[in-house]
Amino acid sequence: MIEAQTLSRRYGDFTAVDGISFSVKDGEILGMLGPNGAGKTTTIRMITGFLPPTSGKVTVAGKDLFEAPREARRQVGYLPENVSLYPEMRVSEYLTYRARLEGLSRGEIRQAVPVAMERCLVTDVRDQIIGTLSKGYRQRVGLATAILHNPRVLVLDEPTVGLDPKQIISIRELIRQLGREHTLLLSTHILPEVELLCDRVVIIDRGKIVAEGTPESLRESAMGNPGVRLVLKDGAAGVGDALAAIPGVLAVRAGASDGVWLLECERGSDVREAVFRTAVERGWVLLELSRERGATLEDIFVRLTTHDAAAALAEPLETPQEVVS
Amino acid sequence: MSGVLATYRRELRAYFFSPLAYVVLFFFLAVNGIIFVYLIGQLNDPRSAGGPPLGYFFRATWLMLLLLGPVLTMRLVSEELRSGSIEVLMTAPVTEGQVIGGKFLAALTFYGFLWLPTAAYGAVISAYEPVDWGPVAAGYLGILLIGSLFLAIGIFASAMTRSQLLAAMMTAAVLFLLFLLGVFEELVNNDVMKKAFGYVSIWNHIDEFANGIVDSRRLVFYLSGTLFFLFLASRALEDKKWR
Repeated sequence: MIEAQTLSRRYGDFTAVDGISFSVKDGEILGMLGPNGAGKTTTIRMITGFLPPTSGKVTVAGKDLFEAPREARRQVGYLPENVSLYPEMRVSEYLTYRARLEGLSRGEIRQAVPVAMERCLVTDVRDQIIGTLSKGYRQRVGLATAILHNPRVLVLDEPTVGLDPKQIISIRELIRQLGREHTLLLSTHILPEVELLCDRVVIIDRGKIVAEGTPESLRESAMGNPGVRLVLKDGAAGVGDALAAIPGVLAVRAGASDGVWLLECERGSDVREAVFRTAVERGWVLLELSRERGATLEDIFVRLTTHDAAAALAEPLETPQEVVS
Repeated sequence: MSGVLATYRRELRAYFFSPLAYVVLFFFLAVNGIIFVYLIGQLNDPRSAGGPPLGYFFRATWLMLLLLGPVLTMRLVSEELRSGSIEVLMTAPVTEGQVIGGKFLAALTFYGFLWLPTAAYGAVISAYEPVDWGPVAAGYLGILLIGSLFLAIGIFASAMTRSQLLAAMMTAAVLFLLFLLGVFEELVNNDVMKKAFGYVSIWNHIDEFANGIVDSRRLVFYLSGTLFFLFLASRALEDKKWR
């Protein structure tokens, strides 16, 4: 539905986006993830036709954005990062104006405006002046404008930024619903949002794509061997050797505090039972025994987008492959 | 075309919803009224040369356009650039030219609305003496043409910057320069220069219009000037993308 080919954008000497290619399939929700300043907004502006790319090409629903801009733009609904509406207008007036701008006929406008207001839950403020609305409502009015002309593609740039937790939940729910009927490109730097909403993720850093895939596949590819953490009451002698002798254990490390041990295990093995038996045999008092969580999208994100080594170490990572290595 | 119309309707509404419009309307009518009363007073003096009152009226009031031009246009594009609403505007299926065209027509309509109440002056005068309506119509045509050129210049300046103040100052500077060209005509001795300055002298133009002379050279001057600056404005808006 969206096809971006080797998109680049330079501002003077600064390259904001450097040869990005990706595609969004029909009906898919693609998340675009990256730290602030990675080039997400620039990429999105090129996809919506606001910025012309320095080089590269974008097609939306088969229409080239710069050869057939009108046809291509008609297929796109866009919610920019900073939703900026005309503050002196009423909500329904603004939506009517936008519908006219999209070239809808009078009859279509009469239908489309109430439907968009209903779907984005702004019907109750339809006669309010936009300048008096809360940020959450303004965001929803912005979404309503994006879906007014029933575009096949919705492009949302950080739709939940600056909202309170309750508003975030309601906007996310709305996005999930919209995702059922529209192809969606969603940019964000909020990780849970991607895991919650997206079918596929593209991670952008310094203007380049550094990873791409489903949230699960990204997590799997980054996950090291599974780990087990145990806490013993007394630091008995020879614990490390005894633990290392357990079949399936690849490496043993003493944890930060006394009696804490971290085991790196073979993939697909579960050594917890063997650990328990060893402890019983040796008379250790086992206080805790737990499996370490695997890598989260957050770990992958931080690893891929952290360039400063010191900053990377400062991150409180507790994944096995970070500790046991 | 729907792009022009949608923009036009929105901008026109924005004019009437902003307090600025009413402040402008108030001062414009107040100053016009004072000029009119003063003119009638002078013309009633038996020692005055006499002549059509509205002719003098146009010659005096056009000077207010030097202020009106910047004030009516400074917001038009700058505000969209500043607030960022330009982003959703220019990702809609409309061209820069349509947006500029719609905004210009809205400004021109509001400008016309400002002049509407001055029709009362014609009515007042016709109650006391016969009025030759030809020169009055020509005068209004002149006011309309000068106004559209000034507004086009203002929109161009507004499309150049996100600061309304800067846009207003640039417009005022250009309009003042145009005004000065008319003064230069009196100052230069070189015949060619005198002719050149005379051609662009708005003083001369409004004089002719107020006397009922509609010269096709003036029509060409104002219409081509207006289109030229509107074209520049849409290019300026397009150029914003490339930076």
